[in-house]
Amino acid sequence: MLWQQLANGIAIGSVYALISLGLTMVYGILKILHVAHAGIYALGAYIGLFSFRLVGDFWVSLFIGMAGSALTGYLVERFLYAPLLHLPRIAPLIVSIGLFTAMEEAFRIVAGPHTIAYNATVGLGDLSIGPFRLTETQILILLVTFGTLIFLWTFLTKSRTGLAMRACAQDAETTSSFGVNVKAIIAVNFLIGSAMAGAAGVLIGVYDNQVWPTMGSIPAYKALAIVVLGGLGNIPGTVLASIIVGLVETFFIGVLAIPFPRDAVAFVAMILVLMFRPYGLLGKA
Amino acid sequence: MRRLRGLAIFLGVALAFSFFWFGEGKAQETIKIGFFAPITGPAAADGMSAKNAVELGVKEVNEAGGIKGKKVELIVYDDRLKAEEAVAIANKLIEKDKVVGVVSGSYSGPTRVTAPIFQKAGMPMVAGYAVHPDVTWDPVQKKPNDFIFRNGFLGEVEGAAAAEFAVKNLKAKKISIISMDNDFGRAISAGFAARAEKLGSTILTKQMYKFPGEKDFRPYLTRIKEGNPDVIFAAGYYNEAASIVRQAKELGIKSQILGEEGFDSPKFLEIAGSSAEGVIIATNLDRDDPRPLVQNFLKNFKKTYGEDADMVGASSYDAFMILVKAIEKAGTDPKAIQKALMETKNYNGLTGKISRFVQGEVVKPVQIQVVKGGKFRRMAVIDNPEVITPPLKQ
Repeated sequence: MLWQQLANGIAIGSVYALISLGLTMVYGILKILHVAHAGIYALGAYIGLFSFRLVGDFWVSLFIGMAGSALTGYLVERFLYAPLLHLPRIAPLIVSIGLFTAMEEAFRIVAGPHTIAYNATVGLGDLSIGPFRLTETQILILLVTFGTLIFLWTFLTKSRTGLAMRACAQDAETTSSFGVNVKAIIAVNFLIGSAMAGAAGVLIGVYDNQVWPTMGSIPAYKALAIVVLGGLGNIPGTVLASIIVGLVETFFIGVLAIPFPRDAVAFVAMILVLMFRPYGLLGKA
Repeated sequence: MRRLRGLAIFLGVALAFSFFWFGEGKAQETIKIGFFAPITGPAAADGMSAKNAVELGVKEVNEAGGIKGKKVELIVYDDRLKAEEAVAIANKLIEKDKVVGVVSGSYSGPTRVTAPIFQKAGMPMVAGYAVHPDVTWDPVQKKPNDFIFRNGFLGEVEGAAAAEFAVKNLKAKKISIISMDNDFGRAISAGFAARAEKLGSTILTKQMYKFPGEKDFRPYLTRIKEGNPDVIFAAGYYNEAASIVRQAKELGIKSQILGEEGFDSPKFLEIAGSSAEGVIIATNLDRDDPRPLVQNFLKNFKKTYGEDADMVGASSYDAFMILVKAIEKAGTDPKAIQKALMETKNYNGLTGKISRFVQGEVVKPVQIQVVKGGKFRRMAVIDNPEVITPPLKQ
């Protein structure tokens, strides 16, 4: 059963990674705590759900969910954050929190307060080896997450835009003086990060078979803790931190059977890291 | 702008007065009964169901000529599943609306905080399905809240009835328990565990999950799967219940899942889908009860609201009707109504025949239902007096 718990932990950790990556990328480049990112995640789930009801194909709904989230993320940056960048970073943070609350209320008003089922069949089938079973939705999560990670890694290391993005994260002003269009880089950053959050929303929608208005509220703070754990702005660190948090949560519940509140794990880990490695798991001092 | 503001103030005052006016006028011809339920918020599906069912009851009573010729007027409030809202509602019902009795269509949290207020005011309340012991009991003075009555089961009683069924009918030897961490989950799983162990079964694992918030039950279920129990007793409301049932199926768990009245909602069937087939629950409503009272209610509810009635609605309807019966018998004096409620004997309720109230707790059989063809159907009835008689509180 250890293998089963491993699968459970990695699956939920992968979703955490998809959500947290966008957050860490935004922080890396703009130094903004993008709390509304969790709203983008929930929005992705809703867009995916409703497009699934319209077209009836899961993969199309995943794509539309990602695209809708990407576009919304871009608009948030363009019209809410960009005009505030000359102010202290507390200003966009307040805007972000306000936007997140407004989004949750909007979901409730538009789609109703009830939990809605995302009854999609993915068409992958389960993988059973003896008593061990990788369920269809777990396979889906692993496929999408690792596909996304490979894309992100190739993009950041092999493409010129990716190189420019990493340069911007280090020093936007100097990068700009080399003729890089920093505004466009920021836009691409938000598009990619928000698309990943949208994908996470759709994945959780089918994994839990539930979409509900406040589904972003726990990820909103958990992703924050994970990002700090991984070292703010550090992409591999964030992936590692996500998987660790997913695994530790699962093992506390399922193996050690410690009645420890699941959502506290990320924070205890964050506090430990801040005490002993304030630059994060993979960060440098 | 100034003129507009003046007009707005004038209209506001006029409106306030008109309410006053109509309220006063109506009070003489109708009998006012208070009602609260979580009509919006996280328990909205249950709150709406309770409200719809009670409004159906009001319509029936009024169409049959009301109570001794007077129409019943239901004063409806939404507590949004918040205790602080419920306190304000209780005071409003007593002070402003001057109702003669109250029906709770809400959960334990809001119902429990209103109980001492109604008790102090000498206002009878019948709770539809709130399960917490302190609804009918004053834990400080250690005496019953004798103005409060409950039509639903105590958590302990329902849990014990589920255990009775698991061990005697399903012949379960090994049982795992997974329960939400709140009043209801704790009470019902404690009642279940005590009875199951008394009857000789072994409880392999007892797990609690955070409520609200938990959605991923795979770590819990994987642990349960390891012990391969005959029965999994799961306590939770419909959202969590649906997740547990679905994820258990995904993980290839073959054990029989046994739930409780929290599962009893069309939302459970919708979210769990085909995984709900074969799930058994202990609850308050028997859909296959042949009595015309039950069948007519189920039919009328479906016709009026377009969806199937559930336990929450039926229990709230019963609570309302029990109160109406008492008013018919005793008139509109709250003290007389309370006395009539205390004397309730063999009342033919929608959710079963109520033999009597003990310390405000209902005594009636517990229904065991199974999901078949996407609907709850009758499986068994637990009427062992040792199980269904509520333990005396002291």
